[in-house]
Amino acid sequence: MTDVSKRRPLEILKRYDALLYPLVFISLLLVAWEVSVDAFDIPAYMLPAPSDVLDAMDSALLHHTWVTLQETLWGFLIANIAGFFVAVMFVHFRPVELGLFPVAIALKTTPLVALAPLLVVWLGTGMASKIAASALICFFPVLINSVKGLRSIDAESDELFRTYQASRQEIFWKLRLPASLPYVMSALKISSSLAVVGAIVGEFVGANAGLGYVVLVSSYHLDTDIMFSAIFAAAFIGLAFFWILEAIDRRFIFWQQEGAD
Amino acid sequence: MQPNALHASADSPGGDALSGDPLLTLKNCSLTLNDTHILRNIDLDIRQGEFVSIIGPSGCGKSTTLRLMLELLKPDAGARGDGGQVTFPKVKPRRGMAFQKPVLMPWLTIRANVELSLSLGPQKTPQSLRRGKAETALELVGLLDYANYYPKQLSGGMQQRVALARTLAAEPELLLMDEPFGALDEMTRDTLNLELLRLWENRANGLKSIVMVTHSLHEAVSLSDRVVVLSSRPAGIRTIIDVPLPKPRSAGFVSIEETPLYQQTIARLRRELHSDD
Repeated sequence: MTDVSKRRPLEILKRYDALLYPLVFISLLLVAWEVSVDAFDIPAYMLPAPSDVLDAMDSALLHHTWVTLQETLWGFLIANIAGFFVAVMFVHFRPVELGLFPVAIALKTTPLVALAPLLVVWLGTGMASKIAASALICFFPVLINSVKGLRSIDAESDELFRTYQASRQEIFWKLRLPASLPYVMSALKISSSLAVVGAIVGEFVGANAGLGYVVLVSSYHLDTDIMFSAIFAAAFIGLAFFWILEAIDRRFIFWQQEGAD
Repeated sequence: MQPNALHASADSPGGDALSGDPLLTLKNCSLTLNDTHILRNIDLDIRQGEFVSIIGPSGCGKSTTLRLMLELLKPDAGARGDGGQVTFPKVKPRRGMAFQKPVLMPWLTIRANVELSLSLGPQKTPQSLRRGKAETALELVGLLDYANYYPKQLSGGMQQRVALARTLAAEPELLLMDEPFGALDEMTRDTLNLELLRLWENRANGLKSIVMVTHSLHEAVSLSDRVVVLSSRPAGIRTIIDVPLPKPRSAGFVSIEETPLYQQTIARLRRELHSDD
């Protein structure tokens, strides 16, 4: 009994290890940054101190973050629904796969940066063109992982279902779909960070709001502190998004197959 | 493992006449898949009330024979419509298959995995009855306490018993088993064989016949009424041996290996298996 009570404080610490260590480390880094900017007299347009960056975070930044967040979420959502739907088509209708797969590859190999201006021409400088850019960059990984997941069922499971004369619908809902979830989940995680990239690239090309717009405009004025605040906000969106998906993954895809990543 | 709560049916244990009516007949079945000639002129009756084992060199087509019985594969049509046939002299029996791997769905609880066999296909059981049937089947294999667990939390032997429960829940008349315990260690395998024998001798859930593919001569002799020996590929039936051991066997399962009759039967099977070397 005494053993347990002695160990307890340490174990509580251990539970928060994953949070504690990064926090301590990042704090140290920020302090070092702050001190060295001061000590070496680095001009603010080169590298603003963290405290200056914090000062630059105002309600305008919040507004721009909100814009980028919306574009990211919509792009992510559209790409995942479309990607999964096309994957289901690929798996069930061979001609669709044969016909569309080269198109998907072409889409993947075309740099998004090259397409972004076209999207702005077509969809305007509003959110639509950024959502499209975000969806485009997410689409391919979702498609590939979903196809892989839907095909991940082994021969025995397939035979088992056929033994009971299961219909195509039953095989899909009770076997293919759940078997694909670990793969789909890792596709979601990959595309979550890509979605932010897509939105910001879209904003670089032509926008009047959003974090990419802030970065671009502040670079013209050498407002490096504002630039940093936008970069941090973008990084935060990506991180938070990933963490949420990771939490969902752990909670719901508890059986997690190997090789799903 | 304790002896499980067995559902003794009204039938006398293990007392069916051996010469029951055929449930299923393979007539002159040959099979070629992707230019590989796998089976050659297989003629075999599976009669009501018998436990048949199929042995033969590895890769010879034992599992393929089971898949013919399940109608997952069709025998070759033959040049002039004189091809093989899989027929069911009376009513087509409900068939259940137990695979070498447990093939459980990792995202379903044990209970839901057992219910799976009741919730697929045109003959699925009404939703309201599934739970009861699944739990009865789990009780048969002694795993009712684990109904809410997930497959990962169970050992290999327990998973295989869940798979057996899943098969039994659908109340198969003809149970087909493809080396069901082949991937398990010998002790677990022995325990499960005894358990299978008990289920069989009690005709649990309306069992009428069992066909089992195995690599083990001991398994074949101690469980079956007849042992079918296949030749190497393309596999034909080399011989069919009646196992002359008394029934029921579950009571003397441990000591049966010591009897001379058992040893002689094993020896005979070995001679047949090696006769073309």
